[in-house]
Amino acid sequence: MASTTQRRVAVVGSAQTLLADERPDLQHVDLITEVVTRALKGTGIRVEDIDFVIDSGSDFLDGRSISNCGFLGAMAAHHKEESRVEEDGLWALSYAVNKLTAGPASIGLVIGYSKPSEGDVDAFWSGMLEPFLQRPVGLTHETAAGLYAQSYLATAGLNADDLDVVSDSAWRKAAANPRVCAPTPSGDDWRSAVASPLRRSDYARPVDGAVAILLAIEEVAEQTTESPVWVTGVGSAIDQHFLAGREPDTLPAAGYALRSALRMAGLASAADFDIVEVSATSTVGELMVLEALDVAEPYKAIELYRSDDPRINPSGGALPADVIMATGLARLHESVLRLARRGEHHDNTARTALVHGTGGFAMQNHCVVTLEVA
Amino acid sequence: MTKVAIVGTGQTAHARRRTDVSQAGLAREAVVEALLDANLTMDDIDSVVVASGPAMFGAVNQPEKWLVDALGARYKPVVRITSGGGTGLAGALAAINQIKGGSARRVLVVAYDKLSEGALQASISTLYDPFWGREFAVGIMGFSAAYWHARMQRLGHTEEAAALVAVKNRKNAMLNPKAHVKREVTVEEVLASRPLCWPIKVLDVPPISDGACAVIFSGEADAEAITDRPAWVHGMSYWGEADNGPDRSMIQSEPLQLAAAKVYKDAGITNPFRQFDVAELQEPYTCFELSYYEGLGLCPEGGAAELIASGETELTGSLPVNPSGGCMGANPIGATALIRLAEAAMQVTGKAGDHQVKDAQRALVQAGGGWANLRGVAVVGAEK
Repeated sequence: MASTTQRRVAVVGSAQTLLADERPDLQHVDLITEVVTRALKGTGIRVEDIDFVIDSGSDFLDGRSISNCGFLGAMAAHHKEESRVEEDGLWALSYAVNKLTAGPASIGLVIGYSKPSEGDVDAFWSGMLEPFLQRPVGLTHETAAGLYAQSYLATAGLNADDLDVVSDSAWRKAAANPRVCAPTPSGDDWRSAVASPLRRSDYARPVDGAVAILLAIEEVAEQTTESPVWVTGVGSAIDQHFLAGREPDTLPAAGYALRSALRMAGLASAADFDIVEVSATSTVGELMVLEALDVAEPYKAIELYRSDDPRINPSGGALPADVIMATGLARLHESVLRLARRGEHHDNTARTALVHGTGGFAMQNHCVVTLEVA
Repeated sequence: MTKVAIVGTGQTAHARRRTDVSQAGLAREAVVEALLDANLTMDDIDSVVVASGPAMFGAVNQPEKWLVDALGARYKPVVRITSGGGTGLAGALAAINQIKGGSARRVLVVAYDKLSEGALQASISTLYDPFWGREFAVGIMGFSAAYWHARMQRLGHTEEAAALVAVKNRKNAMLNPKAHVKREVTVEEVLASRPLCWPIKVLDVPPISDGACAVIFSGEADAEAITDRPAWVHGMSYWGEADNGPDRSMIQSEPLQLAAAKVYKDAGITNPFRQFDVAELQEPYTCFELSYYEGLGLCPEGGAAELIASGETELTGSLPVNPSGGCMGANPIGATALIRLAEAAMQVTGKAGDHQVKDAQRALVQAGGGWANLRGVAVVGAEK
């Protein structure tokens, strides 16, 4: 469908709060205001120049119905076109890219945020289950990840200890990331059993935070920044809801999302990305995502960690810092920082990035975005 | 840039309580009807947008995930847009952007609410700021009554004028097979009905319903291949207003005026009262329909009471408003806005049956939600 005459869209600004397991000092509006202000800073683009705002957040996590309503001022959406996508912020970004490609809008702001420290995260996940057949059996997001892991480890010929290389890698990289507060895990709890075969260390840690991404069409982008990061492809796909109806140890929906993004980007394969930033709710989930995205052969993604492949989640990924409604958008922000050679990444040489976000119970939904700099 | 059209619509039988279907079953019922209307199958659908009221209404978080199996949407893009009462129109706008942006050719939008399964006003009360607004928040009715009272004082939106809206819409609902409230009322009955939050009285309020609506959109070439009567979307927009009450006008809705100005420009509308043949407006209370007449420029500011009294917005008038009966006939909140759009499409394609407005060529649609601070407008027409 993509034609050569279509308008190109670039990231011209982006910001992320410090991600930490709780931010009791800041309300939702404070987190949002911080990223909106910082995403605009230095771009020359003012609040009144923004044509529209697309935002991601969760009524369930916020404890508020239509929670976007309460944050429109902070989101710079006063007297503007605005819509709420109740899914990871990467889907909000997909909407914004469509809207900019369609025209006539030329500047769009995308926001994702969560404050899980103030909500019941277990209820957030189990509340997604249809209430008749899946909820009454006591299925939780942790046991569901355990079921996947049992099947995956058996097929891959791995055991639970093998997964430590995945969590260790993620937390080591996060500790070196100034945008994440990730103290080195320790104590008895860290390797304690949660849902066999998975342990606490295998699960993503929910964190509070917000991410804002400023997008613009080519004419604006080239006047705004010397290093526009082009959004070359976007794709998403969802799996069945019933867990028993899904594949036991692969994530085909992530593959569909990838192929759709590659098609838009005009790429034949996912082999050559310099950065691969993916989201997952468990270590096994992360391995399955990398395989579905063709970054690793089936059941071989663990080798990427054993060889300490620098392309994989240089930020630390989602395991040490899961912002829930903004985790995929945080992956995009981390990729943009490197591609645009901002801050401590001034000597980065990466030119392309593959970004992935997920949503839904046991990673039902997947979104893939491809990025490129000149 | 492709033009976008509506090529199929479907609605459930709306009811106060649909105990025969789950939320997923309700959505499926509307989708099946829309696919039949367009003579398509799910294989033809590239992408699905789900719109529903706040998740707390139905006590299922991210309910679009559950709908996937019942809709046959596995491995397709599925996303949910949520924007309170106007969410159906916000969902439609997302679909249109997918088509115009080139990421999909045929998009299914399904909007629904099963309000019999949740605590509606308790959920709505959580809309307010937990520190500064929730103590005095009583659902959505309190501030609506305050708005109406201000408009009564300044614009002459009297209780009698609002009662005429109830009389008109309930009469129109008698002709709509999908409406579930079928009882005509008189102005006297409305005025004498029990006050809930004065000046809002029981008969100023629409019912609470279970129901779903589905609309299929496509680009120009696909639309002309699918049907010989597409309903062309001439414009659609959805605007927000920051919720700081003291800064907002209670007299006219600024986001509504902004959305209308944008859509009228896109659709070439300079004299809305004359150029539209029919309008479907989402009236959560009778007083809002009066307010929208003015916000949409169908009459001058302060002219709404006169317009409703003139009879021109009745089914036989020169600009029938809510020939479907509007929310008064059925009000599954998350679906209500999409129902307005579907009804408008049915009118301009001559498919509205007993409540068809003769020779309707161009229709106006309005919807809104949140704390009266999210407002959408659309124009659809028979002509490309």
